[in-house]
Amino acid sequence: MAMTSLKRLGKGLAPVVLAGVMLASLPGAAGAQTPIKIGASMSVTGTYAKPGSYQKEGYDVCIDELNAKGGLLGRKVELVIYDDQSQPATAVKLYEKLITEDKVDAVMGPYSSAVSEAVANVTEKYKKVMVAPLAATTSIFKKGRKYIFMVITPAENYLDGLIDMAAKRGLKTVAIINEDTLFPKASAAGTAEAAKKHGMQVVLQEAYPKGNTDFSALLVKIKAANPDVIAAGTYFDDAIAITRQMKELNVNPKMFGLTVGGDLPEFYDLLKQNAEYVYGSTQWDESLPYPGQKEFLAAYKKKFKHEPSYHSAAGYAGCLLYADAVRKAGSLDADKVREQLLKMETRTAFGDYKVEPDGFQVAHKMVMLQWQDGKRVIVWPDDLSNGKPRYPTPEWGKR
Amino acid sequence: MRRWFPAALLLLAVGLALYPLEATGYGLRVGLQLFMWIALAQSWNLISGLTGYVSFGHVVFFGTGAYASSLLVVKAGLPWPAACLGGGLAGAVLALIIGWPCLRLKGPYFAIAMLGLNEVMRVIVSYYEGLTGGGNGLSLPTLDASRSIYYAMGLVAAAVTAVTYAIVTSRFGLRLMTIREDEVAAEAMGIDTLRYKLYAFTLSAIGPGIVGGLSARDQGYIEPISVFPLIMTITMIVMALFGGKGTIWGPVLGAVVLFVFQEAVWARFVYLHQLLFGAIIVAVVLMMPRGILGVLQQKYNLPRTI
Amino acid sequence: MGVLITPAMVGQVVISGLLAGSIYAMVALGLGLIFGVMRVLNVAHGPLMMLGAYTTFWLFQRFGLNPYLSILLSMPLLFLVGLGLQRFLVRRVVDAPELSSLLLTFGVSIALVNLAQLAFTSDLRSVEYLTGSFVVGPFALSKPRLAACAFAVAITVASFVFLRLTRLGKAIRAVSQSREVAQVCGIDVQRIHLLAFGLGSALAAAGGSLVAVMVAIQPEMGQVYTFKSFLVIVLGGAGNYPGALLGGLLLGLVEQLSSLFLTAQVNEAVAYVLLVLVLLIRPTGLLKGRV
Repeated sequence: MAMTSLKRLGKGLAPVVLAGVMLASLPGAAGAQTPIKIGASMSVTGTYAKPGSYQKEGYDVCIDELNAKGGLLGRKVELVIYDDQSQPATAVKLYEKLITEDKVDAVMGPYSSAVSEAVANVTEKYKKVMVAPLAATTSIFKKGRKYIFMVITPAENYLDGLIDMAAKRGLKTVAIINEDTLFPKASAAGTAEAAKKHGMQVVLQEAYPKGNTDFSALLVKIKAANPDVIAAGTYFDDAIAITRQMKELNVNPKMFGLTVGGDLPEFYDLLKQNAEYVYGSTQWDESLPYPGQKEFLAAYKKKFKHEPSYHSAAGYAGCLLYADAVRKAGSLDADKVREQLLKMETRTAFGDYKVEPDGFQVAHKMVMLQWQDGKRVIVWPDDLSNGKPRYPTPEWGKR
Repeated sequence: MRRWFPAALLLLAVGLALYPLEATGYGLRVGLQLFMWIALAQSWNLISGLTGYVSFGHVVFFGTGAYASSLLVVKAGLPWPAACLGGGLAGAVLALIIGWPCLRLKGPYFAIAMLGLNEVMRVIVSYYEGLTGGGNGLSLPTLDASRSIYYAMGLVAAAVTAVTYAIVTSRFGLRLMTIREDEVAAEAMGIDTLRYKLYAFTLSAIGPGIVGGLSARDQGYIEPISVFPLIMTITMIVMALFGGKGTIWGPVLGAVVLFVFQEAVWARFVYLHQLLFGAIIVAVVLMMPRGILGVLQQKYNLPRTI
Repeated sequence: MGVLITPAMVGQVVISGLLAGSIYAMVALGLGLIFGVMRVLNVAHGPLMMLGAYTTFWLFQRFGLNPYLSILLSMPLLFLVGLGLQRFLVRRVVDAPELSSLLLTFGVSIALVNLAQLAFTSDLRSVEYLTGSFVVGPFALSKPRLAACAFAVAITVASFVFLRLTRLGKAIRAVSQSREVAQVCGIDVQRIHLLAFGLGSALAAAGGSLVAVMVAIQPEMGQVYTFKSFLVIVLGGAGNYPGALLGGLLLGLVEQLSSLFLTAQVNEAVAYVLLVLVLLIRPTGLLKGRV
């Protein structure tokens, strides 16, 4: 039978339509390239859920900003996040998954030094550049690794400001206590070094187990040693307990400083008046005159409806630093990007960035704050401060 | 049953041996972890399934093995296979030292003493930081040995299962099970219960010791809180229980099922992960305390050597 | 770098240890009741305490309720929770070997912790109510700890009065000694089991409410207390109620003294080594326990 004219038309058109569809689905044809996938495992649940979630939010804001400005190398950027439950072993597995199964183009660092340390073995194995914004322990970067980059100030320098201020005022003795885990130990060791360098004497240095709630014996020993300064390498819950028990046992140093915990608004919420005069150290504060701060704050608050913490800022800046290096290198190739990250010297919304050949951060500065009238006042270093320290800390009975 | 079982087993072994050739890094890691859990659950079964003495801190041997073998690698420069065997030896020695006084204790006291032992070892490891790095953790030299570790773990899992088979079908095993059923009667029959319990306990510590060393080598970094966690003891117990404690293949079955379930599920239920695990534990304890194989054994009158 | 240890320091630390020990004793008594009556090792004891702490926190936060008064609410609340747990879950493992009760209560405990994480988040909370101390000679008596000790002692004394003098209390002791004989005497054993678990939970809750003023409240805070309670009842003699008191005070003392003379890092280890030593010499605890 002769085909109808319609069918003949259809037969003729089919190959044309087919060719058209094929052409359209070719990558790049309609400007729809595959997005760049950046992978990471985050502490969404587990012990580090709070800071981990802040860090993730920082990443999110960074990705939004990159995509709003046209993406990276002309491609959209996509974040692939898994939950490592704050466990190094789980994170290791997940980074293997991200790299070998999900085949992400790039990775960013997880939360906490311990997890970053474990994961660094994986990223080195596959030669993937990893900017680890929340890894604060020096040892991670001193193992001959080539592809890992630090953003925040190392743990050892957390209380440099406290020691500096103390030495300037002629104080001579310091007691150092710390929780017995990776980060506080490193900060305690660094503080002891700094004290010795400034000619101060360390009259007591002791660690306590994680989860310890009763510090009477430790504080009794400290009181007997009568130091001018007490420096504590803490997290949050121990910071609260120590401060309260210092009041109970009437321990009165001229200066009392904490690493983590003293900088959080919750510290004052929980301790109220008893938090006054306490010095805390922080990697970053909203009030610091860093470029891009205002835009970051606005975008973050709009998206997440709460204030960012330094973890957010570090995550945000770390991600932008990586993107910057990729842009300068013109490719995602690990060695090229690495070259750029090693060369870069810049100031972001988070602070200064410059690394040594092993990826170790040398430019970023911690700032010391002090609680005054319920507010955090930056008291050190002088060029970034917005107030003077209230010194000496008056005795508990006289406040 | 008898005829096709060894053939199926051989096929499986060949399949598992060939797997690393086309697996991704992730797949390898998952595989070696599965073998690790089989070895752990089976080792726990050796003491608690066969003698009835609940070792509620069995992960202490894993952690001790991890540190012992890592120290041998880092400080004594031993190659990791030898170091891991050293880890197994360390586990055995610890079991001997602790077992001798503690295996005399009755049920709940033994369980709590083992729990305490786990905490003590963790504290000791943290305290001697000059040696172990304490809270800083211990780092091993960077080495990509995932494939070799996969095979090593597989061997250990197979070995522990084989040892269990050998024990269950021997007079030694019979004596252990007699102790489980009625220790007083066993004593009355002239069995030196302490000695046999000690043998079983020591044997049950070697597997976790070696596997601890292998796991440490694979991760490249260990710290006290991550190698002595209570949840690991619980997991290996639940695996053994789920499959059927006191049987040979029970722990293997339990480990495989629960591990696969964990890998498949936790990715989806991030916030409910612990809750689900808790629910599973409750379900296993209430509804199948004899485990799958235990139930099947009773129902179909299967032999003891299942 | 050593600090000379004076008698005054030792005295201070002994006081702290006894104050802390009184709370351990009360909470451990709860665990001991559950074990004595049902031979169940309740790993969920810590989470129950945590729930008590949260109850106090939320009542303080929302209604400004005095944390010490909130005990009047947290205890009954957790009593009911305990009843529920016993009735639906724990009842099934009462006669089973200890593995079943250990695992079951462990499952319950991680479920409770996860639920708390979902409901309250892991954010640290605390009740800022009583701070500072009374100074008596060279010693500082921490106000919150004194208050906690006072309440703990009161509640513990009340518990003992209950156990010794009331019919229900005697029934509980009877069931602890021998379930069969108690049944023959006409005691409703099922009811006693329910009561014991409820009371044990209430005691844990009281502990939680008392420490809410002193420590950071978060879903996992109970774990440490579970371990310590186990230690205490085994030390004092499992199933022996006055033993729990002795064990609790002893633990508090040992912890503080070892922190003073050694370092705080090892006080967990010291406590457990003490436990093993005691068990070697007296396998059923310091005061005669029951298995």
